[in-house]
Amino acid sequence: MQTARELKFESPSFIKRFKGMLGVDFYRLFHTPLFYIFLAIAAIIPAMLIGMTGMTNPDGTVTEPIFTNVWQAIAADTPIYGFEGIEKYANMNMVFIFGGIMVSIFIGHDYKSGYVKQLFTTHAKKSDYMMSKSLTCAFAMACMCVTYLLGAVLAGALTMTSFKGNFLNIVCAILGKMVMSLGWASLYAFLNIIFRRYFGISIASSFFFGTGILVIAVGALVGNTPILNIFLYGASVFACLSSSFANVLACLIVSVAWTGIYNVFGSYILDKSDVY
Amino acid sequence: MNAIEIRNLSKSFRGMYAVDNLNMTVPVGSIYGFIGENGSGKSTTEKLICGLLVPDGGEIKLFGKDYTDAGRRVRVGALIENAGCFPGSSVWNNLMMQAINLGLENPEEEINRVLKIVRMEDSAKIKFKSCSLGMKQRIGIAMALLGDPALLILDEPINGLDTDGMRIMREILVDITQKYSTTVLISSHILGELEKIATHYGIIRRGKMIQELSAKDMEGRCRVFVSIKTKDMQGAKAALKEEFSDVREEDEYIRVYDVDDTEKIVEYLFKSGHVVNEIKKNKIGLEEYYIELMSKKEEE
Repeated sequence: MQTARELKFESPSFIKRFKGMLGVDFYRLFHTPLFYIFLAIAAIIPAMLIGMTGMTNPDGTVTEPIFTNVWQAIAADTPIYGFEGIEKYANMNMVFIFGGIMVSIFIGHDYKSGYVKQLFTTHAKKSDYMMSKSLTCAFAMACMCVTYLLGAVLAGALTMTSFKGNFLNIVCAILGKMVMSLGWASLYAFLNIIFRRYFGISIASSFFFGTGILVIAVGALVGNTPILNIFLYGASVFACLSSSFANVLACLIVSVAWTGIYNVFGSYILDKSDVY
Repeated sequence: MNAIEIRNLSKSFRGMYAVDNLNMTVPVGSIYGFIGENGSGKSTTEKLICGLLVPDGGEIKLFGKDYTDAGRRVRVGALIENAGCFPGSSVWNNLMMQAINLGLENPEEEINRVLKIVRMEDSAKIKFKSCSLGMKQRIGIAMALLGDPALLILDEPINGLDTDGMRIMREILVDITQKYSTTVLISSHILGELEKIATHYGIIRRGKMIQELSAKDMEGRCRVFVSIKTKDMQGAKAALKEEFSDVREEDEYIRVYDVDDTEKIVEYLFKSGHVVNEIKKNKIGLEEYYIELMSKKEEE
């Protein structure tokens, strides 16, 4: 029999714990097809939207181009929060909708497979789980933004759509959207923690919030007010083709602030409720 | 120091107590057989120890410290209900994820080590969903064994396995405790199998621990008896009742309890005019002991 003297127990530091948790999530991200499928989806969407430009309908008429400029597929010209034409919303913000579905599947599988038991039986803390999921999924969504950009540029080049625009503004818009991935990923992780036993509801809620329907509704009622920038969807819209570094900074602040809020509440819920 | 020490642990679901003021002590280095009928609270207790459920009240200590202590938790391995693996990923990838989570220094080496213990060295590349039930259970054990656990919690690891699967699992568990001195808490319905490996027992009923005892104590408490078959069973039974205090007819045999002297019985029956056709010495096993204990509790 093992004696008490032979047993050694060393508490792992936060860094060791978190490194382990983050390592698991990234290993899983790169070793399962889910991530690559969503990268491909993110690239195909803008390509399809731009590719539809100038298509001939069966009745001989030519489809009205959705975009006259490739960068319109990336972001709106100016921040518009209320509902306008659908084309104003068909930009890189769509990554956040599909990203929501990806996060739901990613976290949902933890519970569905029972892997979450393995995680929490050992030293992993609930707050590590929330943080790690937010960061991993934010990384995945940021990568989706990159493939979205590549899809748009490639389709634009093939269809000879205009690339005219201010380089700095475009970079700021793209960076702003990428930075917002963290806030969105945290929101989705939080929603999936709440609905962890109901996979379908998790996906539906991610889709619902990902569309920014609430902010759009408020925008439609109260008009284009910068106060809406404090919300995830508002800040994402704020990253537009007239963006500067100030916009990127604003996006970063909003994204980090919401990440903090969602992580605190998500960890609290996990701590106070049964895991499995 | 005990590996697990539980005091007044309670857990309810919608007002129904699954675990009700439970006390439990698992000595370091033991194989603790956790026994109870369906819904008695075995799995709930194990999930509570693993930190998967939030207790309503009570105290759980692992190796002398609160069960939430990260230093204790990092040395706990568990197989609760299923292996908890991603079905689309290979056995290797599933084990690698847990090895990374535990922050193991040489994950590849460690994975090879645990695969060898569970005799699955050649199955690392197979997808988890393609594995048989027996293989899945063994992968679950391998997963729990990563990182040199001081405590293994296994919930029904032999359920659904065929005879050969059960034998392999038994050998693995004995190997683990002998070579690695790991404390094992194991619940099972298959008491015959449990009896072969357990050093301690805990019997739970309706969320309460009704008895804890070592295998030695169990041995002492298990009654011996002699089973007899004669031509005239009723006559022989009546004759034996005159001489011996506890004589019953069970399973087509006359059983004379607390006696192991077969010669004395044969002689006595011969003198009473009965010829013994069959006689054998027996001992009540864990299963019979458990059934008897449960029926006593039912009567109470």
